[in-house]
Amino acid sequence: MDPQESLLEIRRRRATWVALRVMPHEAQSRAWLRRARVQSEEADDLVQEAYCRLATIDEVDHIDRPGAYFFSIIRNLLVRRRREASVVSLESIAEIEAIPDPDTGPEMEVARRMDAERVRSLIAELPERCRRIVEMQKIEGYSQIEIARLLGVTESVVENNIYRGVQAVRKNWLKKQDDLSERLKLFGNDVEGRSR
Amino acid sequence: MNSKDTLLQDEASRWVARMGRSDWGDAHEADLANWLAQNPRGQGELLMAQAAWISCDPETIALGQPPVTTPSWSRRRIMLAGSAAAMAASIFGLVFYNASVSGYATEVGEVRRVALADGSTAAINTDSRIAVNFDKGHRNVRLDRGEVWFQVKHDRARPFVVEAGPVRVRAVGTAFSVRRRGNGADIIVTEGVVAAWTDANANEPVSARAGTQLFMPDTPGRQRPVAIEASAASSLSWRSGQIELVARPLADAAAEFNRYNRRKIVIHDPTIANEEVDGIFRTDDPEGFATAVHDILGVPVRTSGDGEITLGRK
Repeated sequence: MDPQESLLEIRRRRATWVALRVMPHEAQSRAWLRRARVQSEEADDLVQEAYCRLATIDEVDHIDRPGAYFFSIIRNLLVRRRREASVVSLESIAEIEAIPDPDTGPEMEVARRMDAERVRSLIAELPERCRRIVEMQKIEGYSQIEIARLLGVTESVVENNIYRGVQAVRKNWLKKQDDLSERLKLFGNDVEGRSR
Repeated sequence: MNSKDTLLQDEASRWVARMGRSDWGDAHEADLANWLAQNPRGQGELLMAQAAWISCDPETIALGQPPVTTPSWSRRRIMLAGSAAAMAASIFGLVFYNASVSGYATEVGEVRRVALADGSTAAINTDSRIAVNFDKGHRNVRLDRGEVWFQVKHDRARPFVVEAGPVRVRAVGTAFSVRRRGNGADIIVTEGVVAAWTDANANEPVSARAGTQLFMPDTPGRQRPVAIEASAASSLSWRSGQIELVARPLADAAAEFNRYNRRKIVIHDPTIANEEVDGIFRTDDPEGFATAVHDILGVPVRTSGDGEITLGRK
């Protein structure tokens, strides 16, 4: 870790890693929870807890397969919760090792295809000024202070609109995960058919 | 998603926007640390919000473009993924209610949920049989064999009583399971309180509250049975088609699978019978379990022609 790196930069680096290497696999873990008949509220809870763990571990660079790693956290949290004790599950390790390589598999392709599409329509649905500000940041690449100067508003106004954008994206994330894990269930069917 | 989570989510989103400020500095950092200290789950929420936001960057989307690959599925993954739909169909497709039917039975490996006439629910485990008899003043269920979990609709005027041999378990509005054993009944209470007694000791009921379990022998000895904290082994995960093992001796675990399957697991090597295993498995997947045991303990697994799964060398 670079000692000069600010907390802000560290946080951003971690979040970028999560966005690229973990979040695309969230739906897989959720699909598994769904198959394990975990209610959606508890699933949300477990996912949130798993992200807490990702936020607080020191280094993530040693993690080769973040998707499988994330799944293992969720699974262990579930096992632990169910028995309210803390014993590491041996069986889970065998299972985790066999999760498909995170960056392959048909579901990943679907996840990616949906992404660009979804972001575009999400931004389009924001209120006019908010949409413009989000586009300036996300598409044109301006910083918040630059946007404030260009539009002749205070930085707080920009911040507020960005907040609404983040909020919309965040809310949409859950919905997207639900849709995806629903699709993954269908993949499950498909795989079952093939394995016979 | 409850309102507390929504609030946390919104606050985290606000922090993400604030971190984009040009004047972000130590004071902001201190405020954020304060917020995180007050919200133990804030770390996760903040990471999710920031990552979701970053995932909308055009470069993130571009970086995420798929490499050209052929899908690869490992065998284990197939077990994980493939089974769920089958499970859903086989177990949960059987929910039915017929007012004229008062008896329900399940086959080996079958789990059935039944809506009872009073609004209560019964989840009937593998190889079990019950007879339901409700009238104006009573709600009686006779458990002839096996195990059933009840979610009892509150009705003070009509006590809900389960009979398992000479053992009786009474509830008003509560959730509990009763398993018929050779010499008594196992009772696990998940909500509320139940009272249990036997025909011979009807005036000495033993009570058990949520989170406890009780074994009520058919013929209680001098020692009065008491409810103890429910152990992990007394899991009710069979209701969702799962077997949960927590530090369970292998022999026990195999017996648990054998409850649900006609294909029996046989342990040939007595030296491994006491090895402890952990995990969550599907009730209808003894092969998956055997494979996991093979992976963990390195013992040979064989499937014989008559469907027996043997673990360990003779």
